[in-house]
Amino acid sequence: MAALDIQGLEKTYANGFTAVAGLDLKIGKGELVSLLGPSGCGKTTTLRMVAGFIDPTAGRITIEGREVTHLPAHARDTGMVFQSYALFPHMSVAQNVAFGLEMRKVGRAEREARTVEALKRVQLDHLAERYPRQLSGGQQQRVALARALVVNPAVFLLDEPLSNLDAKLRGEVRSEIRALQQALGLTTLMVTHDQEEALTMSDRLVVMEGGRVRQAGTAEDLYERPADAFVANFVGRSNLIRGRLAEGAFEAASGTRLACVPGGAGTGPLVFALRPERIGLSVGDDATGEPAVLKEILYLGAQTEYVVALGAERLTVIRPTPAAGDPLHAARPGDGVRARWTPEHVRLLPDT
Amino acid sequence: MAALVLPAGLLVLLLLGAPMALMARYSFNTYDPLYLMQEAFTWANYTKAVTDEFYRDILFTTLWVSLLSTFITTLLAFGPAYWLARMESSWKSKLTILTLFPLLVGGVVRSAGYIALLGNEGAINAALRGLGLISHPIAMLYTPFAVVVGIVGVVLPYMVLTLAAVIEGIPRQAEEAAANLGARPSTVFFRVLLPLSLPGVLAGATLVFILCMNAYATPVLLGGPKFHMMAPAVYDQFTRVSNWPFGAALAFILLVVTILMTSIGSLLIGRRARPA
Amino acid sequence: MTDTFRLTRRALLAAGAGAALTPAFSASRLMAAEANEVVVGTWGGDFGNTLKMAVDDAIMKPMGYTVLQEISGPVPRRTKILAERMNRRGSLDVACLADFDTYAASAVGALADVTRERVPNSAHVLPFLRKSYAIPQIYSAHTIVYNKEMIPTPPASIQELWNPKYKGKIGLSDFLYTTNMAYAAMANGGSMSDFGPAKKGLEAWKALDAKVLASTEAVGAALKSGEIWMTIIAAARGYMWSQQGIPVGWSIAEEGAFPTTYEACVPKNARNLDGGFVYLNAMLDPSAQTAFSKKMGYLPTVTNAKLDPDLEKLIGFTEAQQQRLWTPDLSYIMKNQAQLLDTWNRDFKG
Repeated sequence: MAALDIQGLEKTYANGFTAVAGLDLKIGKGELVSLLGPSGCGKTTTLRMVAGFIDPTAGRITIEGREVTHLPAHARDTGMVFQSYALFPHMSVAQNVAFGLEMRKVGRAEREARTVEALKRVQLDHLAERYPRQLSGGQQQRVALARALVVNPAVFLLDEPLSNLDAKLRGEVRSEIRALQQALGLTTLMVTHDQEEALTMSDRLVVMEGGRVRQAGTAEDLYERPADAFVANFVGRSNLIRGRLAEGAFEAASGTRLACVPGGAGTGPLVFALRPERIGLSVGDDATGEPAVLKEILYLGAQTEYVVALGAERLTVIRPTPAAGDPLHAARPGDGVRARWTPEHVRLLPDT
Repeated sequence: MAALVLPAGLLVLLLLGAPMALMARYSFNTYDPLYLMQEAFTWANYTKAVTDEFYRDILFTTLWVSLLSTFITTLLAFGPAYWLARMESSWKSKLTILTLFPLLVGGVVRSAGYIALLGNEGAINAALRGLGLISHPIAMLYTPFAVVVGIVGVVLPYMVLTLAAVIEGIPRQAEEAAANLGARPSTVFFRVLLPLSLPGVLAGATLVFILCMNAYATPVLLGGPKFHMMAPAVYDQFTRVSNWPFGAALAFILLVVTILMTSIGSLLIGRRARPA
Repeated sequence: MTDTFRLTRRALLAAGAGAALTPAFSASRLMAAEANEVVVGTWGGDFGNTLKMAVDDAIMKPMGYTVLQEISGPVPRRTKILAERMNRRGSLDVACLADFDTYAASAVGALADVTRERVPNSAHVLPFLRKSYAIPQIYSAHTIVYNKEMIPTPPASIQELWNPKYKGKIGLSDFLYTTNMAYAAMANGGSMSDFGPAKKGLEAWKALDAKVLASTEAVGAALKSGEIWMTIIAAARGYMWSQQGIPVGWSIAEEGAFPTTYEACVPKNARNLDGGFVYLNAMLDPSAQTAFSKKMGYLPTVTNAKLDPDLEKLIGFTEAQQQRLWTPDLSYIMKNQAQLLDTWNRDFKG
């Protein structure tokens, strides 16, 4: 039995706007699933329907076998960490953390013990008597975590938990949350628009767009085997070129031919998808591959991004930055290069 | 900048301070039926105002009517203020203007409305009689009840708007977080919303209390001739008998009591409104 | 007139007080004025309009005068005269005021004497209305006004106001507390110079559950609805109500009634003293007098103004009735005004 079971969930507003259009999702006990997608894709609405802040138009939400679809928020036993943390400004850190226990009528002694324990877990027990406004953003974030965790919620909900932190802190908190979640075996639903966050933290990801699920799967599933062009481009980057199969190769709309394994793909319109880092570049007379012309070079430190023209198409290529002495190191825009890739790495996706 | 601010500041000080200073001086003069006022320095006007049971009763009436009206107004205003503050549709600005609308109509006009509503021949009595519920009109106009109803009606918009402004500043997520942690709506209200609104309650209640203490039109029009509050009593002294010194003394007593009460209120609520 | 007064007095008090405190401003404004300009301090509304029509436009204008009405309530007007009396020039040439206000102004020596030479028409003034410091412009009396359907016989004595038969049906205007107390004094052995016994009358009214009504309009509404049957108010007002279909009559009791006179005066330091007296003379002109009677129900104060006989019958006082009117002791009222209001508030309304 799934710890969180969402079936046919829908939300249509009075003005006719459909935010979520039939969503099915099962999350196993202790699993962390991320809802990923651009803003307006319905991920936050979904999370808020699970929390009970928005009443679904249709569908069912079941938490550990108990149907909660139309229950008020306070009767659901979910623990949410808000994007803005939403700490109670008039309560101390300890009072904030103890609030959920108080609501559950936990006795004073146990309440205090569990509060201290929760604060220790986020290394903030020394700040228990402080007020939220006396804390840094990162500390407030951890108080919010402790407050949600201390009640052992059946479902842990994270709403863009890292978006208000600076880049450096983000990585740190990310692994901290993941470690806590795994240590406590929390069934977790997270909403994010940051694919890196989703990829590194989640057991599974659900890519949403226009209120629907585009693809659900592990990070590797989504990255290596995207179901469609949207997912291919949203999770990581892809060279996407429209065209169709012709004589065992892909023929772009422009007429340029590109190597691939046709497999079972039909003769209909297709999208050629190839990750930038799967393309090799070489320079020199002995180089192999398709002749191409170097158009742009973008130095990124450890990596360098190249744009090459192959026939009428442009491909983005990402390579480890070549060392001095490598012929590619000396290449300049306008130079001729050779581009090559393993045809098995090309994915032919339906053009929808 | 200072060149601009200084003269403007002095002008404001003069406009606000001069009449007050003049009245303060007058309150120590003696009344003279012939020449209206004689220069003097006597506490007699103040002594009369506080020792005379008649005027003491007027002050107490003013106090209880103001406190009761402020309390009722706060209770009544919270719901609409919350509703207005949390509204997200385009109706919000329209409703805000609608809330301001009664302020565009003077208190006198609104009191006239209450006369039409509460009088023996008024709408309520007519309706009750029409329904056969009563045979004789219920006396509502010219009672303290009418005054409290009228004053609450006059000051309610101020309270709603003050509270709405403060509630708007309370993140909705704080309420959601409380609900998420298992708080019922009533607990969310008492443990989160109300404590966080206290600065607004304090500001609104102070404003409303001051307006109540100084109410003129409503007690005169709805309380009838037998009902006395301070502002009309002050006015009577000035206009009916031209006793400026005593009128000024009454006005200053009203001022001091109002300041005293609002200070006590600030201390009591203010302490709770500010966490350590 | 009382209604105009009530509606505007609050705002105007402020204005008047301001002007009283800064007499220099108004004086300097007037220095620039022309010599044939007359500034008249008056009520607005019906009173001011009738004045403009019957005096300003009909009489003053043809004589080459420009009249400026300065509209305010009576309290600021009186206060202004009192405050300006030490200035070389005042801001008003003529002030319209009730008799006790002109008395108060004359008591501090602020008013110029009215003589036959200055105001020829004053020769025709009814003897009992004559003053050395003002002209009476219109007059009426605060009489018993009663509902003719409920009380078919006109009340002949002021004692009727305390008749237990009318328990709960007597209504008194809060605004006319001086008059009410004059009646209460006269009914209990007092006099125009001794309102002390009024206390007994007030207590008796209280025991009879007499109503206090906040405004003249409230008195009219209460008479109309049958909430009250009897009150004390100007006969002129009773006449106006009966014109509006309220079944009321007025009666001057055998003991008399309290006269109410609206007067006009010229401050001693008026900028245009002569113009002021020309204006007073115009106010006494029979045409102006009858115009006021028609519009407001008040009576002419001069013997040579003849009312239409039908109107005369409805609003006029007979010789005998005139004789019975009390002569208010304005000095007594002025000195005791504060005390009277206090007694009214405590012993009756409290």
